[in-house]
Amino acid sequence: MAHVSVPMYWRTIPQRYRLVGMQCKKCGKVNFPPKGVCKYCNASSEFAEVRLSGKGKVHTFTLIGAGGAPPEFAEQEKAGGVYPVTIVELEEGPKVIGQMADVNPKDVTIGMPVRAELRRIYEEEGVVRYGFKFVPLEGGA
Amino acid sequence: MTLGISGYGVAIPRLRIKREDYAKAWGSFSAAGVNEKAVAGFDEDMLTLATKVSARALESVPLTPDKVTRFAFASTTPPYTEKLLSGTVLAGLGAPGDTYATDHISSTRAGTEAMLAGFEHLAANPTGCALVAAADAPMASMWDPIEHAMGSGAAAFVLSGFATLAELEGSASYVSEYFGERFRPREEGQTRDLNVKKFSEGSFVTNTTRAATALLKKLGRKPEDYAHVVVQQPDARAPASAAAKLGFQDPQLAAGMVSVALGDLGAASTPVGLAAALEASKVGDRILVVSYGSGAGSDALSFKVVSDRKPAFTVSKEAARKEYVDYVQYLKLKGAIR
Amino acid sequence: MRKVAIVGAGQSRYGEFPDKSIKELFLEAYQDMAKSVDRGYDPKRVGAAYIGNLGCGGFQLGNMSALVSEYVGLPYVHAMRIENACASGGYALVTAAMDVMAGVHDVVLAGGVEKMTDVSGLKTKYWLGVSGDTEYERLAGTTFSGLYALIAQRHMHEFGTTREHLSMVAVKNHKNGAQNPKAQFQRETTLEKAMKAPMVAAPLNLFDCCSTTDGASAVLVTSAEKAKEFTDTPIYIEGFGTASDYLAIHDRVATTTLEGTRRAADQAYKMAGVGPKDIQIAEVHDCFTIAELLAYEDLGFCEKGQAGPYLMEGHTQITGDRPVNASGGLKAKGHPIGSTGTGQAYEMFHQLRGDVQKPTRQVKGVERGLLHNVGGSGGTVVVTVLAR
Ligand SMILES: [Zn+2]
Repeated sequence: MAHVSVPMYWRTIPQRYRLVGMQCKKCGKVNFPPKGVCKYCNASSEFAEVRLSGKGKVHTFTLIGAGGAPPEFAEQEKAGGVYPVTIVELEEGPKVIGQMADVNPKDVTIGMPVRAELRRIYEEEGVVRYGFKFVPLEGGA
Repeated sequence: MTLGISGYGVAIPRLRIKREDYAKAWGSFSAAGVNEKAVAGFDEDMLTLATKVSARALESVPLTPDKVTRFAFASTTPPYTEKLLSGTVLAGLGAPGDTYATDHISSTRAGTEAMLAGFEHLAANPTGCALVAAADAPMASMWDPIEHAMGSGAAAFVLSGFATLAELEGSASYVSEYFGERFRPREEGQTRDLNVKKFSEGSFVTNTTRAATALLKKLGRKPEDYAHVVVQQPDARAPASAAAKLGFQDPQLAAGMVSVALGDLGAASTPVGLAAALEASKVGDRILVVSYGSGAGSDALSFKVVSDRKPAFTVSKEAARKEYVDYVQYLKLKGAIR
Repeated sequence: MRKVAIVGAGQSRYGEFPDKSIKELFLEAYQDMAKSVDRGYDPKRVGAAYIGNLGCGGFQLGNMSALVSEYVGLPYVHAMRIENACASGGYALVTAAMDVMAGVHDVVLAGGVEKMTDVSGLKTKYWLGVSGDTEYERLAGTTFSGLYALIAQRHMHEFGTTREHLSMVAVKNHKNGAQNPKAQFQRETTLEKAMKAPMVAAPLNLFDCCSTTDGASAVLVTSAEKAKEFTDTPIYIEGFGTASDYLAIHDRVATTTLEGTRRAADQAYKMAGVGPKDIQIAEVHDCFTIAELLAYEDLGFCEKGQAGPYLMEGHTQITGDRPVNASGGLKAKGHPIGSTGTGQAYEMFHQLRGDVQKPTRQVKGVERGLLHNVGGSGGTVVVTVLAR
């Protein structure tokens, strides 16, 4: 198991449940996931919280098969089959990694429009860990 | 003030299994009138589905999450049997922490319980806003015939004191003592049914008709005043006996008969049925909703449609988005083989 | 600062050794190193031991450098475990060089050891996925195969890199590994077999991924002036560079460039006073086939995006003008995480001296080589330039 403690997970709920990004007060760019110092201007630690739309486009992807899943995702791969993992370029600029759901893996392509929604990520110590995954954007771009 | 519905949304998991696949595996299919049913994905549970459908209901108004003053969640299959559940949905939506939130989880009547909880809140807080989400994926042992009908789906409603879609005309309830039908003892994960058929049917008909009759009497209405009647659907045949006894005709049941394509939606059965009836309604139509929960009890609610506005995510749109799984894939998704 | 040289290098066999402990594996490498010192090895001269190691399945996370050092007869030294994921060994070597350059010690041991096959399959996968960004990449359901697959997919999209290009890396490295008596896989493979292997993380299949390996390596580092006391043919560390990068791929400026490699190589070339064209032979970090292609580009062996054609033209074959991974690379020689970097140094030490164990793998007439060792998916990178 990838051990991510309960408090550690809890602290990231704004990001995992509803994609809250950090907009740099100096350069205006959105850091997501958050950084201690803005990764764009490297000159400010002052941020304003902004809720991202969760919409974006697939920048790259992989389809995780039997040998490629970490142990905490092995059951998912066994029960649900091959699952796609994508890096999505969000509308607001940042790129972020996330699984893709509600899609036939063979239909995933670079550039396809997606949006984020809350899903079960994995379970550790009996606690369900929720977080965003990407699904195809209804009606396309 | 006009209590009622100001917006709604529907979410149906994307996977389906057909009756033929059950028939192939078991030799028969025990869910009367159900052609296929919806199956939740491996990474979906009733809180993720409730979060999704709640966001859709808010967007249909449209309303931002910070306006919600009351939240009620309904499901018979929440991911935890002890732990407050609503917080997951509210955190997912970004709704304020001072929202009064309740979980309704003990029977398939939970969907209308949650709606009535929302209306009670609005009666006392007329400027408030209640968000009600019912999401369910009932589960029984694969050996149990009641499992055959069990599907998955969710509907959410935004209720307010300034109804813009449908006004609540009134409600009535009936509760009684029955047992042996659809129950889950403490420490058990699967719902059971002793299959005492006539006895259970008696409970279903008694509770639903008494609640509905009381409401019709209170409002001075007759069955023919209603364009649609939505009755709890443990399968696609059960509603007919109760509706017939009340004097409704089959065409009045048709629009809300979501179990034919989605299966038994448990606590979300009447909420999704109501969403389907709203989708089929025109201004002036009346809709009667009658839920049922084993144990047993029923709530009856009467609505009058005041707008033709349809949300982006309707039952027909969600029902059309699907991909089929076979029975072995179904067993894996349900964790029946692991 | 003082110049630094390598005067001895040893390596255990790489493979799966259920009968050997981490201490015994390290002993094998250490004794092999001792034997390679032409004028004799004296442990009493060693002042420090830097040991690369990721985790050994978690059994001795604390003080493991002291454990393996005392086991081989090196108690009372400045012992340190160096951990930078799969680049631990390379960083151990560079740390040893810095120590000697600074004049703290004259004779220093750099090594690495890993035991990957003592733990259950699930635990192995656990350890393979601890060096990416745990909070985001791991929790998106990836281990390193998935992360490199994300890079490969984008590389194919941007530059037209093909399935065949990827598989050709495996074919080339297996061909070399077949000539390496210490390699984990001493057998060749065909392009067809490599292309049709089962998918692990599309587009990467089983033959695009290195295996899990047990193994150890050790090199002896001294100041250049003292080197001649050990051998007539020391191998000099002309230059080195190290650079970290954003741990998660999604945070990086470009998905198809390991910025850490580019920057580490720039430093190493500058320190050595050479450029990519002066590199005659290289051991690069091919944990996945795509990683070797990225290395060609980011080390400046070819233009960005041209690694596929560059490979297909044969430049990096053992018979080419710049052989890459003559040892078989991580793919065929094996990848015992913490040992990989100093294992690369072992290969290059012997290649540049012309005394490779099995002459069929000896590249003739090479005087300057490069080592490239990557931690994780590029979170840390170390590049070293060695010369006769
Ligand atoms: Zn900034």
